[in-house]
Amino acid sequence: MRWSRLVLTSAAACWAVLGQSATDIEILPASVELHGPDARQQLLAQATTDGVQRDWTSKAGWASENPEIASVDAGGLVRPVSDGSAVIRVEAGGLAATRTIRVTGARDDFSWSFRRHVIPVLTKKGCNSGACHGSAAGKNGLKLTLRGYDPAADHDALTREATARRVSLADPASSLFLLKPTMTIPHGGGKKVAVGSLEYKVLSEWIAAGAPGPAEDDPAVVGLEVYPRAATLEPGSKQRLVVRAKYADGRVAEVSRWARYSSTDGAVAEVSDDGVVTMVGRGEAAITVAYATSVLYARLTVPHDNEVSQQEFNRLTVNNFVDELVLKKLRKLRIAPSEPADDSAFLRRAFLDSAGILPTAEEVEDFLSDTSPDKRRRLIDRLLERPEYADYWAYKWSDLLLVSTDRDHLNRTALWDFYNWIRDSVAENKPWHRFAQDIFASNGSSRENGALNYFVLHKETIDLVENTTQAFMGQTLTCARCHNHPLEKWTQEQYYRFANLFTRIGIKSGDEPGDSVIFARAFGNISHPRAGHPFPPTPLDGEELALDSQDDRKLHLAKWLTSDANPYFARNIVSRVWANFFAPGLVDPPDDLRATNPASNEELFEALVADFVEGGYDVKHLIRRIMNSGTYQLSSTPNASNQREDKYYSKYQVKRLPAEVILDAMSSITGQESKFGGYPVGTRAIQLPDVRVESRFLESFGRPLRLVCDVEERSDDPSVAQALHVINGETLNGKLRAEGNNIAAFLKLGLSDRKIVEHLFLSAFSRYPTESEEHKILEELREARRDQRSGSIQDRSRRESLEDLTWALLTSREFLFNH
Amino acid sequence: MFRLDADKTVKFCDGTRRRDFLHVGSLSLLGLGMSEFLQMRARAAVTDTGKDINVIMLMLVGGPSQLDTFDMKPEAPIEIRGPHNPIKTNVPGIEICEIFPRMARHADKYALLRGCYHSAAALHAVGHQLFQTGRLSLSGMEHPHIGSVLGYIKGANGDLPPHVVLPKIIGRTGGNLKPGQTAGYLGKGHDPFVLNADPSVADFRVPDMLPPDYLSALRVDRRRDWRSMVDRSVSKFETSQDARLLDSTFHQAYTLMTSEKAREAFDLHREDEDTRNRYGRNRFGQSCLLARRLVESGVRFVTVNMFETVFDEITWDIHGSPPFSPISGYRDLVGPMFDNGFTSLIEDLSNRGMLESTMVLALGEFGRTPKVNPAGGRDHWPQSWTVVGSGGGIQGGQVIGSTDKIGGSPKDRPVHPSEIVATIYHRLGIPLETELPAANGRPLPVVDRGVEPVHELFS
Repeated sequence: MRWSRLVLTSAAACWAVLGQSATDIEILPASVELHGPDARQQLLAQATTDGVQRDWTSKAGWASENPEIASVDAGGLVRPVSDGSAVIRVEAGGLAATRTIRVTGARDDFSWSFRRHVIPVLTKKGCNSGACHGSAAGKNGLKLTLRGYDPAADHDALTREATARRVSLADPASSLFLLKPTMTIPHGGGKKVAVGSLEYKVLSEWIAAGAPGPAEDDPAVVGLEVYPRAATLEPGSKQRLVVRAKYADGRVAEVSRWARYSSTDGAVAEVSDDGVVTMVGRGEAAITVAYATSVLYARLTVPHDNEVSQQEFNRLTVNNFVDELVLKKLRKLRIAPSEPADDSAFLRRAFLDSAGILPTAEEVEDFLSDTSPDKRRRLIDRLLERPEYADYWAYKWSDLLLVSTDRDHLNRTALWDFYNWIRDSVAENKPWHRFAQDIFASNGSSRENGALNYFVLHKETIDLVENTTQAFMGQTLTCARCHNHPLEKWTQEQYYRFANLFTRIGIKSGDEPGDSVIFARAFGNISHPRAGHPFPPTPLDGEELALDSQDDRKLHLAKWLTSDANPYFARNIVSRVWANFFAPGLVDPPDDLRATNPASNEELFEALVADFVEGGYDVKHLIRRIMNSGTYQLSSTPNASNQREDKYYSKYQVKRLPAEVILDAMSSITGQESKFGGYPVGTRAIQLPDVRVESRFLESFGRPLRLVCDVEERSDDPSVAQALHVINGETLNGKLRAEGNNIAAFLKLGLSDRKIVEHLFLSAFSRYPTESEEHKILEELREARRDQRSGSIQDRSRRESLEDLTWALLTSREFLFNH
Repeated sequence: MFRLDADKTVKFCDGTRRRDFLHVGSLSLLGLGMSEFLQMRARAAVTDTGKDINVIMLMLVGGPSQLDTFDMKPEAPIEIRGPHNPIKTNVPGIEICEIFPRMARHADKYALLRGCYHSAAALHAVGHQLFQTGRLSLSGMEHPHIGSVLGYIKGANGDLPPHVVLPKIIGRTGGNLKPGQTAGYLGKGHDPFVLNADPSVADFRVPDMLPPDYLSALRVDRRRDWRSMVDRSVSKFETSQDARLLDSTFHQAYTLMTSEKAREAFDLHREDEDTRNRYGRNRFGQSCLLARRLVESGVRFVTVNMFETVFDEITWDIHGSPPFSPISGYRDLVGPMFDNGFTSLIEDLSNRGMLESTMVLALGEFGRTPKVNPAGGRDHWPQSWTVVGSGGGIQGGQVIGSTDKIGGSPKDRPVHPSEIVATIYHRLGIPLETELPAANGRPLPVVDRGVEPVHELFS
């Protein structure tokens, strides 16, 4: 076919009329090889103007300069003709681009493959979904494996089950396998396939070819490519996605038609069944693409229509790479950062986020009056050396490792050994890989190495496998225990290979109660439930260990877990630490690092991980990076452009304080300690090693039970029970009316109302009251006492009014939230 | 503005009305997210049939033995039939266990479903989740309790919360699963109000519901005013959803505290001694009585947990050896406790003309092994058991389903717990395809597609 000049001219006129112009046009994908007569490749014509892309694929003129090698249709779909190289040309809007493609095996024999073609058709059409034939019990007699994870079993079900003529080799068209989905005869699932469609062709020709089963050496899908991987688009525009599967034998083939698509943010982008994205709103969305067991995503952006000046972007001080990468995202989305936080806001936030305490009134005054330019950096350094820092992070990692006497696995000795190891590790800032190695790379007495209580706590192999991957890798493996995870990378076989690393951990009682000895056993395997035999122990994506190897399997795991070969290890801890300071985390929830849960700022995430690894897995280094960033030091007060924005760190996100932190702060401000049964007076809530400690306050404010490794076990949602408890319950009321508390001390010292109000504001809010606040409160306090019959102000009524004022401050939003 | 009329036609899951979905997309600009949209749509879909139906769900924690309660097999050998004998009821042909003499006089008021089963793990919490949420909560997605869904859709009816759990949330039952008694992904704002106290103790009162004696009403009001004054001076929290939720919880707390009706509803001392005795002076009996009072005062859904745990107390969990219960516990303690609580509740509701509008369900989480074990007890058996339903339109005096000769598996009309949940939603007028915002706002129907109500109950 020759390129038609006429068509081109009229097309060019069209562009002019539409007022669409571009400065550049490009054909995607960048390299194309068509192998076999069935190979197809959809090309994309991507036009670019000022960094904004337009999908001109269906509007552009396509032509092949070598039609004897490959043809291209008006929509950009390329088909092979014979072996060789062909140049495909696209022209639109006065611009042109070419792409050379290679064709091989164009005349080879071809037949549809059960694994490569039939199963993807069934998956795409939902036939083997959990709601249809993929459910555990099947549907109306036909049972397929969930999303085709076991092609051999599916082939049996379709071709060998005696009851039904699902597949008729003699007369393919009369196969139930075709009659049902086309609704030629009634089908409970409705019409799924149209006669004459490509899907129909695949199924019918496959039957006609003798319905061959899956072969052992069918190449597996090892990964996906998606085009475009990222693009900035116009509101309301459409973008077609092209997806290619990469196979183990090195081949690449387009699978756009049979991939499954979903959008992470339906308010920004919508995606159709065939991979055409419509940008319905402004912002950024990831389009998740799934095919076989592989997942990838394309990130599509429509900037907000804010006019943000350079000056506004400059409000975010660039202190380190965090700020550069946050700014890059904000610029792209046109979101203006909030103003920098004032010293009070920063001070309060820094204390709470790093050490779980509030600064005292004196510390606030000192910091506010300090005029040195590097006072924030110095404050951060000081905070990280405080014992409260160790208390706070030890509590956090105790949540992570489920330290608790619940379920009676740990007695008190073991509990304290486990906890003390965690706290000591935090206090000495043990690098995170060494923290993990203490658990996994050692054997011996749990009294000598408290970390080993990890194995006393998790006795079941399944618990160990799933909690370890969750705690140290942010990966949820639970689904793969029973079947290939429908949207997940990990297969059931990988699960049981991985699980087999945990099967030779021996535990015997040590010399004293609370002592357990962990040792490597010589025997023990876990069998794959369907295969019926064990697989060689293999870390996820790692090197396998022979089944008969006598090497300590746990050491093999430890080596891989903390090595650079394991991409999840560093990512997991960086995500968890980041989420302590910023809500929501880089991924949300922060312990879900699955490929289907893309990060809001992947570039930032990767830079933080690289910096963390380079710094020697140093958690304090990471915390310093975060706290010193201009981003962390932004105000929480929103502006017009970032009011609803909560993903890209254009402001500090308001969040409720953790239960323990609130309780401790109430204690310190009232000067009245909490009492926990079995613990010495003066023990703060955040110093408790156990969650099995009676406290109505902590329970109602969302202390986690530490039963499952899940960040969402801890709740910071407000509830009616919490409100009732602070209004009427004993915890706060008891502290307020206690004899020797701070209010009593104020009165004894003869402080004026003004002085007391100032002190309360400094210690609860880390700021001075404003003039109008002070004025109103002082007036209220006076008013509250005038009601007394005698007219004179009684100490008692003065005290009560101060108790009531303190109550009002300690139940206010400004107190209960970090901001 | 967002058009409310749009919610009648939008079917974005099926992809049939793209345009409307686009419309939804723009909701976020108005601060109306997907979850709010789903909530509005769910509200609009409620049918009139369930307008006035309330539910009392009795969770028979531990798992009653079908063979020693409602599915007796007197013909079976001794090691199957166990130590108890059947007695006749006021409905010819229906026999239940002798440990329920009072219930036997009211069989016309309840239906027995003898083919209940599930095929998941034989753990207590599995059955608890299935009956209260319709599903199992796996991989971090916690499904909401029916009562919380009801509250989410219909809101409170007056001053009292829409969903109350008595007396406490189910605690440890072995295993790490949660008992399914929260609002799950609907958010804490829809969690049930949990009593957290024993209503059978002499000085029973709702913890923290009333100010302590040393706080005068004047001071409580003053604190409330001053808290508002402090909050008002700082505006930066206005856009925070959590901060708004905090405000609303304080508002609800004050409503509860100051409501005469709420105070009265929770005040068991207003019942005469005879009534209180009739229900049984124990935690379960008094919880049943309290459940009745709450429903009378506007609570839409009350869940009563008969026991808090299965360890170290006498429950339905008759493994036969410590820390579990012996089989004799049924005759001595658990049987009479249930007989008095359940029967009194049915009697009162019936006498007050409330049974038609109040569905009462008694649900164990599984059955027990047909064969008595060496310790003289019975172990977990999710393959078959019996549940009891009364009121709310349920046709009493009938038995639906049956089991084989040893009560070991359903013979006809098997009923999965999710079908019971579908039945409840159906009676509440909540269409089964009503979608809730699950993880990441993903719309999920209240029960899995294809799960149907047990229509026989109403015929």
